[in-house]
Amino acid sequence: MRASWIAAGLLPLMLPTTSSFAQQGPIKIGLILPLSGTFAPNGEDTLTGTRIYFDSIGNQVGGRKIELIVEDEQGRPDVGLTKARKLVENDKVQILAGFVSTAVALAVNDYAREKKIPMVLSGDAGANELTMPGPLYNPFIVRTSQNGRTPAAAAAAFAYKNGWRKVATMTSDYAGGFDTIGGFAQAFCKLGGTIVQEQYPPINTNDYGPYVTNIQSGVDGVVTFLPGSAGLKFVKQFDELGMKAKYPLMDIFGQIVYEPFLPQLGDAALGIYSTLHYAPTIQTPENQAFVAEYMKRAKRIPSDNGADGWAGAHAIADAAKAVDGKVEDTEKFLAAFRPDKFASPKGNISFDKYGQLIQSMYVRKVEKTKEGYANVVVESFDNVDQFWPMTEAELESYKYRYSELKGSMTNCAKVLEKK
Amino acid sequence: MIWVIHTLNGISFGMLLFLLAAGLSLIYGLMKILNLTHGSYYLIGAYIGSTIIAKTGSFALALIVAPLVVALLGAVMERYFLRRFHLQELPQTLLTFGFLFIFADLTLWIWGGDPIVLPKPAAFSGSISIGDARYPTYRLALIGVGLIVALILWWFQERTRLGAMLRAGVDDAEIAGALGIDVSLLFTLVFAVGALLAALGGVLGGPIIGAQPGADFEVMLLAFVVVIVGGLGSLRGALIGGLLVGLLDNFGKIFFPELALFTIFVPMAIILSFRPTGLFGRL
Repeated sequence: MRASWIAAGLLPLMLPTTSSFAQQGPIKIGLILPLSGTFAPNGEDTLTGTRIYFDSIGNQVGGRKIELIVEDEQGRPDVGLTKARKLVENDKVQILAGFVSTAVALAVNDYAREKKIPMVLSGDAGANELTMPGPLYNPFIVRTSQNGRTPAAAAAAFAYKNGWRKVATMTSDYAGGFDTIGGFAQAFCKLGGTIVQEQYPPINTNDYGPYVTNIQSGVDGVVTFLPGSAGLKFVKQFDELGMKAKYPLMDIFGQIVYEPFLPQLGDAALGIYSTLHYAPTIQTPENQAFVAEYMKRAKRIPSDNGADGWAGAHAIADAAKAVDGKVEDTEKFLAAFRPDKFASPKGNISFDKYGQLIQSMYVRKVEKTKEGYANVVVESFDNVDQFWPMTEAELESYKYRYSELKGSMTNCAKVLEKK
Repeated sequence: MIWVIHTLNGISFGMLLFLLAAGLSLIYGLMKILNLTHGSYYLIGAYIGSTIIAKTGSFALALIVAPLVVALLGAVMERYFLRRFHLQELPQTLLTFGFLFIFADLTLWIWGGDPIVLPKPAAFSGSISIGDARYPTYRLALIGVGLIVALILWWFQERTRLGAMLRAGVDDAEIAGALGIDVSLLFTLVFAVGALLAALGGVLGGPIIGAQPGADFEVMLLAFVVVIVGGLGSLRGALIGGLLVGLLDNFGKIFFPELALFTIFVPMAIILSFRPTGLFGRL
């Protein structure tokens, strides 16, 4: 009798080491986002979107509380990896999420794979290879934002359809930029178009004057991928140096016409085309409710990052619910993401077997509406998977990675060379 | 005609570099302080300028008020902090490094992380035709303003009593003090003017370089490159260095686009290897 009483007294001390106790604690999610530096606005939007969804379900799922731990990666891969280690090893998070910068996602990728930590890419990080068979593929990854090439492929489809045959490109000089513009080159060459000039300003370029002045004359359009403050600085010079009056601009991913920038761009943004998997102007109940809530919290229109964060939170919650809150069972938890289907502010979402989402792509154009400047949807492509408009086998048959195309995209023969 | 545009691009950016570097050079010349807070003055100037423009719509007001506020900030920093470590280079540099981080966090807290590009004054928002190309009048105005500032600084240094005191102080602060020059006041004044110039660069450069977290570091780096090329402590060096770096950077990006990250640093390395003191440096 006495012995069992002593044992009972000791029990609470022993419990923390057993797994049954861990499962009664909160589901800890480590969000790695840039909250300072060039990509800070993207990070903040992802965070707001994530919070909106979790708050809407009372920060609780499968009988467990949800606890968010947010870390600033400062736009630097080394900092991102350090923060990932801290989250996993000190804070004992069960899930990593967020990731705006591709470089940061790549830096954390190996670590997450080794630690078998589910990594939900709910931020902008669009490295194609992370969700395609290959050396970088990580079975612990689920992506709820987009990959680099589909908005680029949509840009090519729209540009070609509208009679653009010769284009000049302007891309920020980093891994995510090559992925994106490489995807554009492949799709555009396949359709029959040609890139006549590639330019790659470094990410921290202060003055875009030289690059804008250098744009080859006589092109049918200029295609850009310039994230963060780069796009903002670029488009001011593009407008002032008289190029905007001459050439239509296609902004892959809508980085320049990013909603928070629109008020300060003013008329300089009018008429710019962009492709993205989201537009705040989408007329669905899910999106209208989301936009209203977002405006209430952030005092501004949500960007795609907000909708991606929301979708990431929704996918995590759905999967956690499917396994009754037992997210520590990584295999079952990850498997639960795959059949998930839900309506989101950005349209209907489902996932393929690699953990990449299937969603709609929108072509938008900046117009002056009664609510101010806005990206208005002019065309949409539905159920776009990560290989669209090709099949997995066809995409696989090209022998390069997109980053290897840098410098030779003007040569379509090379771009379309098969294995 | 495209080469005229390229050259104008280079000169206007060079003038901006001059504004950013002049204060740094002035402060180092007199006080031997490597002021790592210099980029923060730029950023604070640009942010205050953007707030003033947003509230009043007046670029001119921003151009006057923002630099004055930052000048006051500089004076306070010198008077109450740096003074305690007079001529101790390492503690002073570390102190300015600390201020850099404090200001970075303060600006992030006050203005948030969204990048902004300042709107241009209405009078200079158009463009003129040069051949078949359009060129923004703002960039031309920037060249004019840069020249005017250079002229004022030259006049101040060479033609005024204060300027003579400054030159005496640069040559030998101790002897200047012994001759009855109030070196202490001079130090505060020069520090304030240095900060003012950087903030002026912030408002003027805001429509081109923009303001966002991290811009303080980038601008500081640019300013250092210019003063290293031109020679520390020399205003003429800052002007020539600014123009040289602006032009080389511009043409470097066009002729050697794959070296774009280094076009600013290559000239610096080359000049340093031939003239370790920079083009006009005496130190």
